[in-house]
Amino acid sequence: MELLQTITLPALGSHLLVGLSRAMILFVVTSGMSLVLGVLRVPNVAHGSLYMIGAFAAFSISHLFGGGPLGFWLALILSPFVVAAVSLIAERSLFCHLYEREHLMLLLFTFALMLILGDLVKMVWGADYRSIMAPEFFRGSVTLFEAPFPRYNLFLLVVGPLVAVGLWLFSNKTRVGKIARAAAVDREMVGAIGINVSWVFAFAFVLGCFLAGLGGALVSPTVSITIGMDHDIIMDAFLIVTIGGLGNMWGAMVGSLIFGITQSFGVLFLPQFAIVFPYLEVVIILIWRPTGLLKSVW
Amino acid sequence: MLVILASLPTLLPRFYVYILAVIFVMALLAMSLNMLVGHGGLFQFHHGAFYGVGAYTAALMLTKTSLPAWMGLVAGPFAAAFVGLVIGVFCVRLNRLYFGMLQISLGSLLWAIAFRWYNVTGGDDGIHGIPLPSLIASSTGAYYCGLILLTLSLLVLYLIYKSPFGATLQAIRDNPERCEAIGIHVRHHQLMAIVIATFFAGISGVLFVVVEGSVFPDLLFWVFSLEVFIMCLLGGWFTFAGPIFGAAIIVSLRTFVGTYTEYWTLILGIMLILLIFFLPEGVWGYLLEKLGGRKHKEYR
Amino acid sequence: MKQGFSVAGIALLGCLLAMTLVFLPGHAEARNIKVGIIDCYSGPAAVYGNDALNGFKMAVDEINKEGVLGGKIEWTKRDTKFKVDLALNMAKELVMREDVDVIVGTINSGAAMAVSEAIAKKEKVPFIAWISKSEKITGEKGHRYVFSTGENTAMAGKAGGVALSKKPYVKYWIAGDDYEYGHAIGNAAWRNLKAGKPDVEKIGESWWKPGEPDLTPYITAILAAKPDAVIFCTGGKSMTNVLKAVKATGMAEKVPIWIHTATDHAVLKPLGSEAPEGVMGTMDYHFYYPDSKTNKAFVEKFEAAYGQAPGFPAFHGYITAYYIAEAFKKAGSLDTEKFIDALEGMKIQSPVGELEMRACDHQVVLPMYLGVTKKAEGKDFAISTEIVTLTGDEVMPTCDEIKAARGE
Repeated sequence: MELLQTITLPALGSHLLVGLSRAMILFVVTSGMSLVLGVLRVPNVAHGSLYMIGAFAAFSISHLFGGGPLGFWLALILSPFVVAAVSLIAERSLFCHLYEREHLMLLLFTFALMLILGDLVKMVWGADYRSIMAPEFFRGSVTLFEAPFPRYNLFLLVVGPLVAVGLWLFSNKTRVGKIARAAAVDREMVGAIGINVSWVFAFAFVLGCFLAGLGGALVSPTVSITIGMDHDIIMDAFLIVTIGGLGNMWGAMVGSLIFGITQSFGVLFLPQFAIVFPYLEVVIILIWRPTGLLKSVW
Repeated sequence: MLVILASLPTLLPRFYVYILAVIFVMALLAMSLNMLVGHGGLFQFHHGAFYGVGAYTAALMLTKTSLPAWMGLVAGPFAAAFVGLVIGVFCVRLNRLYFGMLQISLGSLLWAIAFRWYNVTGGDDGIHGIPLPSLIASSTGAYYCGLILLTLSLLVLYLIYKSPFGATLQAIRDNPERCEAIGIHVRHHQLMAIVIATFFAGISGVLFVVVEGSVFPDLLFWVFSLEVFIMCLLGGWFTFAGPIFGAAIIVSLRTFVGTYTEYWTLILGIMLILLIFFLPEGVWGYLLEKLGGRKHKEYR
Repeated sequence: MKQGFSVAGIALLGCLLAMTLVFLPGHAEARNIKVGIIDCYSGPAAVYGNDALNGFKMAVDEINKEGVLGGKIEWTKRDTKFKVDLALNMAKELVMREDVDVIVGTINSGAAMAVSEAIAKKEKVPFIAWISKSEKITGEKGHRYVFSTGENTAMAGKAGGVALSKKPYVKYWIAGDDYEYGHAIGNAAWRNLKAGKPDVEKIGESWWKPGEPDLTPYITAILAAKPDAVIFCTGGKSMTNVLKAVKATGMAEKVPIWIHTATDHAVLKPLGSEAPEGVMGTMDYHFYYPDSKTNKAFVEKFEAAYGQAPGFPAFHGYITAYYIAEAFKKAGSLDTEKFIDALEGMKIQSPVGELEMRACDHQVVLPMYLGVTKKAEGKDFAISTEIVTLTGDEVMPTCDEIKAARGE
């Protein structure tokens, strides 16, 4: 069999690595979405738009500083803050007045936000394809398991766990993180003990959007930065947080790993069905465990 | 009222007749969705899948088989209801957002079939120039076909809305636990509602084929379903006729404002935000409240 | 219940009345030629829609200096957002409300075919497809009212297949975007490659979701299979992702690659020095090739007007406008049927030389340029080099083949 010849131990190893590095980007994006889902109970449809803004901001910042390594690092650090600023404005001016409404109204709001941000990005950056380069150090590939593995993906394998650790520290070691977790479980109680829930919500929302921007900035050197990126990521992100357990940050991690790795191995075993893998996984997992793999706050 | 609508094709330019027919299609689809979303409280996120199944069934029967055309048109809704039943069986076990996400996934598998199965469905290019019986092939014919089907469907949907079944459905929406406690089989009622709603989605899919003469995988894509969902919320999801408004507004917006600017989605976004802040009951819900002092019904 | 209905009806009527009042159809003054453009000005494909529009606008401005049959060419555009249903809405609006004489557009093949079948054929309005590349438009689904001024998958695939058949590679891997365009290019290339070199062997295929952001797993899998050469069937936004992944994995140094439109400037320019070198690509237009006087003049004028070099869509838009003008001039009236008769077999002068609109299938005969990506000297982007020109006759399916495909 032709197929069996291609499936060797090194091939499995290299695909595992590729899948893991993809999972890291997905995790950065979906952990933010999961945070918003958990604390605010809002499925944020505009999350993909914020990811897109992150990528475009990374492009602009990197070009502002000449496109060199300095530009790249500044882009990586600053563009999530740009996105956070955008989301803070949206939250304080509009969104914060809606928390008492039904879920569907909040969903409708984020949908409206997606429409508006999508067109604004087109107005600001235009329709041309954009691209930025990683610094020299991250270009090219190293040989792992007898296959070329892009150096940038190695970098992603480092960043992903760092974000995870940072989030863990935030939610377990900081006051606001603990309050946010408590608010996710019972918001009336948190309000009753005299904490300003509105600001906790704002903080969680902005942090979630910050992560979307970080994801966009991280992905920007590997893809074409273009309008329409929002649609590409948003459905996958929703599916991931669903199978992981809505609002559970570690669920986002598990979901991302499942998506990244099955995609990578799927390409090796059954490339002709790559287009349906994500949907099939969700169907199987939700039929097996109707509220996702990990404990959901919903 | 009907008389006026029936006489419109003789009064209006052809294009408006066509756009009205498009509004009929979308209105019927949004109405059928609202039966689940507004009246049933279900997160039916991928209603477009069933609309697509209806449209594809009709299109395939008309192009690939030599059966009489009416059979193809009749088969659409039944195929949609059947798929609705199968998907519904899996989905009703789940709650709220999980229900919606499972449905999106299952519906997207259908989309993938339409998108990939080149020999049968025409792949992502779709099937175009579908031959129709001469009676409904012209834009006026399509208009009347749409008008008649919409009227009949609205009649049936209204009867269901006002029936004990409809009342039970709304009770389940407002308090599923209590309904369960007094012995109502919640899941059965929801599944039944899904089958009925998908049947009407199938009708509107068939109508789409009649009006446009084309099918393509976009019909089953989640983005489109979200648009239909928005129509319900925009028009007023606790009302009966609200979705008609939502459909009319969105279709007119994209057709007429789209003529002037490519940024009509921005305008739609701003409109939606204004709506959320000032007319949370939807356009029609607001008008009803102003006109008749309709009792405000709070939904959890 | 009755009340519910009549309010619903009044609602509908109200909406309708409002829109009729606000948007009363405008009346055309002296008889100008009206061209309706439907294309994608939102989403990833907008870069092509805008470029084609610029080329078209430039040509129309040139043409209107003299006018056509005493009038001018007017145009109006509609954004389809890459959606077929919107394209149908918009095209019907153009035909029924704006009374356009000709519809042109779009990059979306599905939309082009929908408009061709459901509107052009039914309403008897000529439709000229200018960027959509499905070979079905003027192939098996062609008819009297549809034309194409762009290259299509049959031509592109044949260009690649014929070129590759002259190379020594035997074991091929085919990979691409999992949609009609990808498969059509792949099939056409493979068919022609096999015909030119019967001992070639396909050792595997892989297809990804269009727009797939991370292609590394696919490339690793392909490299593991050790093919002699790879055919990638991709375009637009995905092309950038492919080229980035090719560069990051160093694939281009390990195995020869052919990708149609790999040498497209819209893709290579943003990549800058990150574009992989040594990738074979085919294009039907380059602003730097052919290095002729007419092409240079066209490019200079375009750059002066829009601040960037014209891409292939601009070239298509430009010749489309000239085809419309010349055909109406030749027809001597604004009659649709006469226009079509005039357009059949018509030859015009273009920036790359004389072009013919083939009468048998309404497809313009375009040469293809096969080249290899290489960093341009003194520029910060890659261009196509070592260009070999394949003439239109070499890459087009014959009229007999078209007839067979249409079942005539």
